[in-house]
Amino acid sequence: MSDNGASKPGPTPGDRTVIGITFGNSNSSIAYTVDDKAEVIANEDGDRQIPTILSYVDGDEYYGQQAKNFLVRNPKNTVAYFRDFLGKEFKLIDPTHNHASAHPQETDDTVSFTIKDKEGEEAETSTLTVSEVATRYLRRLVGAASEYLGKKVTSAVITIPTNFNDKQKAALIAAAAAADLEVMQLISEPVAAVLAYDARPEAQIEDKIVVVADLGGTRSDVAVVASRGGMYTILATVHDYEFAGFALDKVLIDHFAKEFIKKHPGAGDPRENPRSLAKLRLEAESTKKALSLGSNASFSVESLINGLDFASTINRLRYETIARTVFEGFNRLVESAIKKAGLDVLDVDEVILSGGTAHTPRIAGNFRYIFPQSTRILAPSTEPTAINPSELQARGAALQASLIQEYEAEDIEQSTHAAVTTVPHITNAIGVISLSESGEEVFVPIVPPETAVPARRTVHVAAPKDGGDVLVKVVEGNTHIKVTKPEPKVKENGDSKAAKVEDADEDEADGDASDFSDDEDEEEEEKREKVWKIGSTLAEAAIRGVKKGGKVEVTINVNADLSVIVTTREVGGKGGVRGTLSA
Amino acid sequence: MAPIVVPLPLPALPEGWEAEKDFKPVGKITQDGATQRTLEPIGPHFLAHARRARHKRTFSEDDR
Ligand SMILES: Nc1ncnc2c1ncn2[C@@H]1O[C@H](COP(=O)(O)OP(=O)(O)OP(=O)(O)O)[C@@H](O)[C@H]1O
Ligand SMILES: [Mg+2]
Repeated sequence: MSDNGASKPGPTPGDRTVIGITFGNSNSSIAYTVDDKAEVIANEDGDRQIPTILSYVDGDEYYGQQAKNFLVRNPKNTVAYFRDFLGKEFKLIDPTHNHASAHPQETDDTVSFTIKDKEGEEAETSTLTVSEVATRYLRRLVGAASEYLGKKVTSAVITIPTNFNDKQKAALIAAAAAADLEVMQLISEPVAAVLAYDARPEAQIEDKIVVVADLGGTRSDVAVVASRGGMYTILATVHDYEFAGFALDKVLIDHFAKEFIKKHPGAGDPRENPRSLAKLRLEAESTKKALSLGSNASFSVESLINGLDFASTINRLRYETIARTVFEGFNRLVESAIKKAGLDVLDVDEVILSGGTAHTPRIAGNFRYIFPQSTRILAPSTEPTAINPSELQARGAALQASLIQEYEAEDIEQSTHAAVTTVPHITNAIGVISLSESGEEVFVPIVPPETAVPARRTVHVAAPKDGGDVLVKVVEGNTHIKVTKPEPKVKENGDSKAAKVEDADEDEADGDASDFSDDEDEEEEEKREKVWKIGSTLAEAAIRGVKKGGKVEVTINVNADLSVIVTTREVGGKGGVRGTLSA
Repeated sequence: MAPIVVPLPLPALPEGWEAEKDFKPVGKITQDGATQRTLEPIGPHFLAHARRARHKRTFSEDDR
């Protein structure tokens, strides 16, 4: 890749053993493909979501869940939440999540941590740069994968957030290289998730708008993706560091801390004692996860403070009530990303819930309510065939790794170069005119807007019932949202319902989407639908003598220079018409 | 991609419609009808696109 700072040449394609890696601030995962199917690998501890944490005790290095457990007893020598610091200057990092573990500090131009990673009471501390920490951690991931696969992993595709800059990318590639790992390609997290879904054998390649809501531990990232013939273009992204998994943990921590204080007045606030807080945090997270599955969950901590044990329970309804502001934050993130893309919820065909927090049923439930019924909400609680949201990115990375495994590094670099990736995308749709049941002209899209060129699409359109000579009129088209206000309905008390209808423009992006009390009112208030508008005509063609009940095939080819080739014929017929429109 | 099947019928050819080889060019893609955007270099279909782009091949040449 162009930003590959690695000095020594990577392995030759034939010698590679490849995996996909997702490397998050909270968790990482490793995946590989067998028979074109991606599988996430469990490490030695049996974990598929491996906490991105390193901890040192008596010179021994622990990573993953074991390291996470040391946040209670050994926080100072435990490094957590460091991924986003790679390639960043100290003054630009947000250390919010490092209060309860090793603190980031400034060393030269980079971020580092001072920990005791050697054996012995008197051993000196080491100052490890964030790059060194990443290298050590990646080495453990690669070790786990190599052990699982029975051969040394040499190369990987790693997922990164869409707002990683070139310095961050270079730092990650260098950290991997120092762990003896070739980074074949860095791919964006949301598109890795889309690929994981599109690679399923039952998946149909179709033109669709996909929203990926990646809800993690310390950040949430939403991307609006135009998926066109299996190619992906990101139309807009939103990044947020306030509404994420940790905020849900905090809701539970506060809830149970208050309950504890009420039960033991005088014992002190467990949130004010670092060790108690660390215990609360771990337990809150597991209670939260349990609430994604069951309608009740327990919360219990041994010796929370002053030797006092604490045990309690919470049901899902209560949790959803106290966490409501956070849940509403997720709604707003999704809505703002769609708006930023210049789209409407009605344009969205699919919402992919990705990231650990996406397991939460209420979040998917709220999205179900924001979007029209026709939008597929791909989350475990709304779609039985949904892929585990925690596994999407690693699977996508593994799939991409197997696709490019045979490519020379140079080939990858050339294929991912801007000369190949940056291309015109048409603004309007291109389609033909059909007749509705009432005989009105309607636009039938063939190539949708935001399709990269060159592009080719084919449709089969019915001919008039009795066949005969048929007009194929190729036109541009685009959509708008039509809002129909209902007839004023006189209620029993004489109130006109329409009087309450708000201005349509204000209505979309309704921040109160989870406010169920409004439900019924809203449904009667107005109807919003997406309608196609016929634009300028590009060409006309005649297909003569189509047989009764016949169909006409229309193929539109938009070339890189925006010239258009129209080919059309009767389906199953010979000959046909072909014409070119200059750019 | 498998062709989409559209049930709404095309209109009948208007009386007297004529064009050379039955094709009448009328317009072109609207000026400013395209935006430069960046494809994500991910997935099998992108790789096919990249292959065509690098070898300057068309879809039909690629099909062969
Ligand atoms: N079953 C679950 N139900 C609810 N939340 C969960 C579940 N599983 C994991 N989480 C939460 O998901 C978050 C971690 O998300 P993920 O594994 O996607 O991490 P990440 O991408 O590394 O996060 P970050 O945003 O910090 O980079 C944590 O807050 C965790 O508690
Ligand atoms: Mg993440």
